[in-house]
This record gives sequence, C-alpha cells and structure tokens, in this order.
Amino acid sequence: MPGKTSTPRITKFTNCRLVCGLNLVEQDLWIDSLTGKILKDQEAFYGLHLSPDEIIDLGGRIIAPGMIDVQLNGAHGFDFSVPCETKEKYDEGLRMVNRGLARTGVTSYLPTLVSSTPEVYWKVLPSLGPTAGTHAPQDGAESLGAHAEGPFISPGRNGIHKPEVLRAAETFDDLVYCYGADNMGSASPIKMITAAPEVGNMMAHIPEIAKRNIIYAIGHSDSTYEQAIAATHKGARMITHLFNAMRPFYHRNPGIFGLLGQSERRRPFYGVIADGIHLHPTSIKIAYNAHPDGLILVTDAMRLCGLPDGVYEWTNGERIVKTGARLTLEGSDKIAGSSATLIECVNNFRRWSGASTAAAINAVTAAPARLLGLEGVKGSLQSGADADLIVLGESEDPFTGPTLTVEQVWKLGAKIHDTAKAATVGV
Amino acid sequence: MQRVQCWEIQGVAANSYANPNTDVIMRVIIREDPREVSVYIADYIISRIKAFNPTPEQPFVLGVPTGSSPELIYKILVQRHRAGEISFRNVVTFNMDEYVGLPRDHPESYHSFMYKHFFSHVDIPPQNINILDGTATDLVAECASFEARIARYGGIELFLGGVGPDGHIAFNEPGSSLSSRTRVKTLAYDTILANSRFFGGDTDKVPRMAMTVGIQTIMDSREVVIVATGAHKAFAVQKGLEDGVNHMWTLSALQLHQHPLVVCDRDATLELKVKTVRYFESIEQAGTDARTQGPALVYRPRTYVPAPLPTKTSKPQQPTPDGTPEKVPKDLRINTELQRRALEEEELTPDSMSSRLVDSAIGGIDGALKSDLIFDRMGTRVTTL
Repeated sequence: MPGKTSTPRITKFTNCRLVCGLNLVEQDLWIDSLTGKILKDQEAFYGLHLSPDEIIDLGGRIIAPGMIDVQLNGAHGFDFSVPCETKEKYDEGLRMVNRGLARTGVTSYLPTLVSSTPEVYWKVLPSLGPTAGTHAPQDGAESLGAHAEGPFISPGRNGIHKPEVLRAAETFDDLVYCYGADNMGSASPIKMITAAPEVGNMMAHIPEIAKRNIIYAIGHSDSTYEQAIAATHKGARMITHLFNAMRPFYHRNPGIFGLLGQSERRRPFYGVIADGIHLHPTSIKIAYNAHPDGLILVTDAMRLCGLPDGVYEWTNGERIVKTGARLTLEGSDKIAGSSATLIECVNNFRRWSGASTAAAINAVTAAPARLLGLEGVKGSLQSGADADLIVLGESEDPFTGPTLTVEQVWKLGAKIHDTAKAATVGV
Repeated sequence: MQRVQCWEIQGVAANSYANPNTDVIMRVIIREDPREVSVYIADYIISRIKAFNPTPEQPFVLGVPTGSSPELIYKILVQRHRAGEISFRNVVTFNMDEYVGLPRDHPESYHSFMYKHFFSHVDIPPQNINILDGTATDLVAECASFEARIARYGGIELFLGGVGPDGHIAFNEPGSSLSSRTRVKTLAYDTILANSRFFGGDTDKVPRMAMTVGIQTIMDSREVVIVATGAHKAFAVQKGLEDGVNHMWTLSALQLHQHPLVVCDRDATLELKVKTVRYFESIEQAGTDARTQGPALVYRPRTYVPAPLPTKTSKPQQPTPDGTPEKVPKDLRINTELQRRALEEEELTPDSMSSRLVDSAIGGIDGALKSDLIFDRMGTRVTTL
C-alpha cells in the first residue's frame, strides 16, 4: 500500500472539492513535499511516472489555498509594533506568532505596524521582511513583507493610532528617514504602506513608493473623492479598511468610498474588517456589490487575539478593554482593532453578502495574492503554486448557520496542523 | 455481493461449458440500458483480471478505449477499486488511439481523458500505461514501437472498445484495412464533425489525423469486448453482426475473432432482426453467460512478430538464448489443432490487402510498417545505428 515511507513525497488529496474560480469543483489535488509546490498532476504522472506516496480521502471536504491576511498587528500577546530588548527576543516572539497563526489557517500575511516613532521602524522592520526561500513548513505562517500602517496619516482619522507619533512627509527623504534608509532600498522588507494622500506632500511621493515595489494604500485619510482619484492616478492600488478611519460617504462627495463606484480609473482593492463590530453587514454588501473582485477580508487583529477578556496595556501607554471579540480604547468607544480570526471573517462575509463559498474564500486568497503580485504563487491551487493549503469542514451552527472551520493546515507541502489529530492527542 | 454470486455460478458453468471446440463464438449480451451494460462489462473485466491473477512479472494486458460509452465503465471500475474489490497494480494498459498533434495535457487529448476518468483514480503504476504519443516527431516509429511494446507483453489479453455510428472500432474508419496494425489515420469527415463538439463546435480545431491500433492489432488480442449503447449505434451493430465481414463496417471483423463479446443496450439492437436478438438472448438464457464462461481461453492467437524495439532500450537486440523472451503461453492448455488452423488462416489472409485499398493514408504507412514488422532483421539493423 502507498504511504510506506516515513515522509511521503507526493500526496494526493481525493474526494475533495477545490476552490476553482467562483466554484467548488470535485477534483483531486497532488502536492510535492520536496518542492513544496502543487503538482501539475497529469504531467507528473505521464511524464515523470510519479504516483502518489500517500492518498488522503477528505470525505468531500473543501480544499482552499492557505489564507492571506494583509493587515494583522499581532497575536498571542505579541505586538509587531513593540520592539523587544534584543532582536533575538523579537524574532522569537515572531516565530511564536507565525506558528499560532498557521493553526488558524493563515499561511502567509503582512505583519502590520501601527503608527510608531522612527526608532521602532528601524528596530523591527528588518525582522519582518518576506521569508520566501528560507521558510520551512514548521515555521508556520510566512511573512510576505511588512505593512506600515502610518505614521503619515490624517490626525483627524487616526483611529487609535497615537496622535503624537503621526507625521507629515514634506519630502520623500522624510519618509525614508522615518522607515529607515535600509528599509526603503531595493530589497525592502516593506510590502505595503498605508498613508493619507492629503497629508504633507504624500501625493507626490506615491510614485516613488510604487517604484520601490511597495503597494501604496489609501487609509486613515480625510481625502475627498477628487484627492482619492488623484492618488489612484499616482499609483494607489489599495484602500485600507474601507469605511473605517476615513471621511464617510456623503452624497455630494462620495470620498474614498467613491473609488468603488467610478469607472474612470481601475478600481482599487479594498480591505474589509468583517468582524461584526467594525462594519455593518449592509455596508460590506454595498461595497461588495460595487466591486466584488477587489474585496479583501482582513482581520486587523492585534496581540490580544486569543487572550482572555480584560484590560490590557496598549502600545503608547494607553489601555485597551477586551470584551469578547470587541476591543475598545479605555475610556472611549473607539474601536481598537479586532480579535476575530480570518476564517470567522470569511464566515461572516459569506453569510452577510450571500457570496458563494468559493467567492468568500477568494477574498482571503486569490484577491490578496493579486494585490501582492503573487498570482499563481500564493492564494491559488493551480499547479506550480506553493502548496499552502487548508482543509475546511462545514458545520451547521445553530446561531450563525453554515460555518467553515479550519480542520487541516498544510504549509509548503507538509501538514502542520490537524484538528482531528489534536483532538485524539488531547484524549 | 453480486460478484460473489457470479463466482458461484462460474464453478458450475465452467464444467457445463459444453462445446470447447467452437473457438469462434460471437457472444452478444443485451441489457436494458447503458448503466446495466456498463456494470456488466465492469464485472466482466474485473472477473477476467481476477481469474488471470496478474503478477508484476505476468501482468494482465488490457486494451482500453476513450469515449462516452466507456466513461461509465471507468466510473464503475473506479468505484469497485475504491471499494477494495479490484487492484490495477499489475495491469498494463494499451490505449487504442490518440490524436496527432494534440499535446498530452490538452483537455481533449486521450491522455487527459484516461487520466481524468480512470488512471488518476486507481492504483495503476504510470509506467504500466501505454498511450500513443501524438506529438512524436517520427509517428511511424512511434506506431512501430507501440506494436513492439504490445508484443513484448505477449499480446493483449482483453481489448475493450467502443463502436462508432459508422461501425468503426478504434479510429479504423470505414474502408480501413482489416489487416492493419498501429498507424496514422486520417479521420473521416463524419468523425471530425462528431468530435467537434469537444472542440467548441469548431471543426478546424479538431485534429485531422489520429494514431490508432489496427484491426489486426485488435484481432490479435485474446479477447475483444465491445460496448455499444444508444439507438445511434443500432445500424452499426446490425451491420457488424448480421452482415458479412466488410471493411466498411470494421466492427464486422470481429466475426472472425476467436473470442469476441458485444454488449449492447436495448436501443442498440433496434436494427437487428428479432431472430438475431432472440438467438443471442437464448444463448445467454441457456447458461452461457459470458461472465460465467470462466477462463476458457485455451486459444492463443498467432504470436506477434516482434516489431523493432526503440533504440533507447538497453537490451541486446541480437537474439541470444538468454535475451530472447520466452514465449510461454500464460495458459498452458495449448490446443494444437487450433494453432494449425491459425497458420492456415495466415496463409489465406491476403497480405497485400492494405496496399490494394484506395485509402492512401493506410496504404503507404501500413505497407511500410508491415515490411518492418515482417523482417526480423530489423532488430539487428537498429542496434547498428
């Protein structure tokens, strides 16, 4: 029988449904643990005479690409924006987050930094760069590069970012100084910068940012519709957490949200926090109906994700109250990020929007991969893509209806998490 | 459950198999619908493989087709495999045909069909699979190598095939030589039209040529099983079963085969005479269910003339006592009388049949192939290259 060898090279998943475009299709999937890629199975079979070493019958469950979170501030008590005494200690915390995150089905992400002082960026950014090439399956989730959310944002739309650290970049050098010259070079650890185009001279810096292969995202901004359009002309491709921390939609000036309705420019991608707290379900539905292909679900989760309820210290000496998934700044009603997991967001979004299961999954796989220029590498089940996979079970929750749960996680062709196995070990 | 019953019956039937001397028996099995037909054939193939008890050294060699009728058969075989009833680990397959010029991973290639419907779902090792390479630079050599590979396995044990509405088996279109072997074939316009539905309705996208096993290749297999379902096959079935052997209805060649089996659904018998249908039904009712006849195949067809092997094989081509594969029949009950008859037949078969045909596509290549196949010295010539 197959599967005799201790480390099976070729694994075939059978009796499963694959996310393929907007549909789920019944098809086998072959992965190669040696290359960590999804196999072009027919060619491997005929051309290389490879046959599976292990066949896994998934009993009709769904295989989706591993999820990608483009906005995640921390987890398990670790905050990317808080440097540790030594880089080693910080990296250790990061590894812990990576392993924990992978168990939730997020196999790659952009570690996100809230507005901080330049010293913080200089210290932590070198640890947060993409790890492709050196990443091992057991390392868990993989960084695709850092997301610098701030500090060049609008003081009036700061959310819970500390106002004292906010800046305005008059010259591009101001920006380079803030993030650190080494971090703005050719192999930058930064993948995305969220900034307000109307603050300082940011509008002029957008092309410079884009030139460095960094995605410029409009966010925490008081932009008018016209300013937002101008930013897309300069190269803006993304809106950070749509609706939150921006000028609200107004019928005489639709603001940043207006970008989803126009057809003069290519509509940007937009992040949506579908945790049930940040946004009304209908708002999400309006955005989705306006521009379905651009929707990217993000958690905006922070370090309290996975910790018990209570009052916790926040980055800049302030305190955060955690009540369930709801996080607020102490003494105010300001929402301080979220502690929802990405799969919960997928479930919420699927339920609220009526989107198909595949479409909801695309919002955390194919869409972010497209934004990040990683089509066919991440967020895809095509042959040649990285074998980052999640096996999803479907259950009927009495309160919330059909619910997807992450039951297995595979990273680069190796299984790194299995709820079934975890349960048996527990017993 | 059902299968177990079959085996019980077989024990009885094998004894009561009255007339072993009738080596040419056209067996026709009629079932109500395509599903029943497919179940019958799947059962049949499974029982054949099991009776053969294949090993890695002595694999079961199965000829396989593509098409809509076989699709259901594969589905059932896959189900049976998943249920643990049958393993294809020691089965070697030879596909009947493949389009010329279509890349292996084209969704309409027969490589893709076989992979999608059968190979990827069962435990057959990829190296046991033989499909003609439609992208080979030297198509004639590819055909010769295909025949050589069949020969190396000692011939095909069971050839499963479909039949076209014009009576073609494999891509042996009307007018094909009945003594043809694997070769390149120009598709009949009918076939191009029929197959255009798989190419977005665009006849220009349908390949103009295919490689296919010949009628003789099929005839040389120990057993041939043909599936014919649907009213559109009724005329072909009628021509193939009731009329004489004719190269315009290549199915009819099976009338001369030693062990043919045609499984039809009710619709495919629409053009047959009531008399014919009753006759075959009565045979089945008399207890000669094809499935239960057991491994009564004492007859071994003419051994293949070993065609030249491709140069890549490292085996010495010079016939040495050690190197020559033993042509020991898998079934040791050799009927010498039958062998003599086979020789007589060979003499009676006009060798020049293919060259006399107007069909230029076969004529030329077939002729070339034939000479290759006949001259044993080809093997030695290859090694000197």
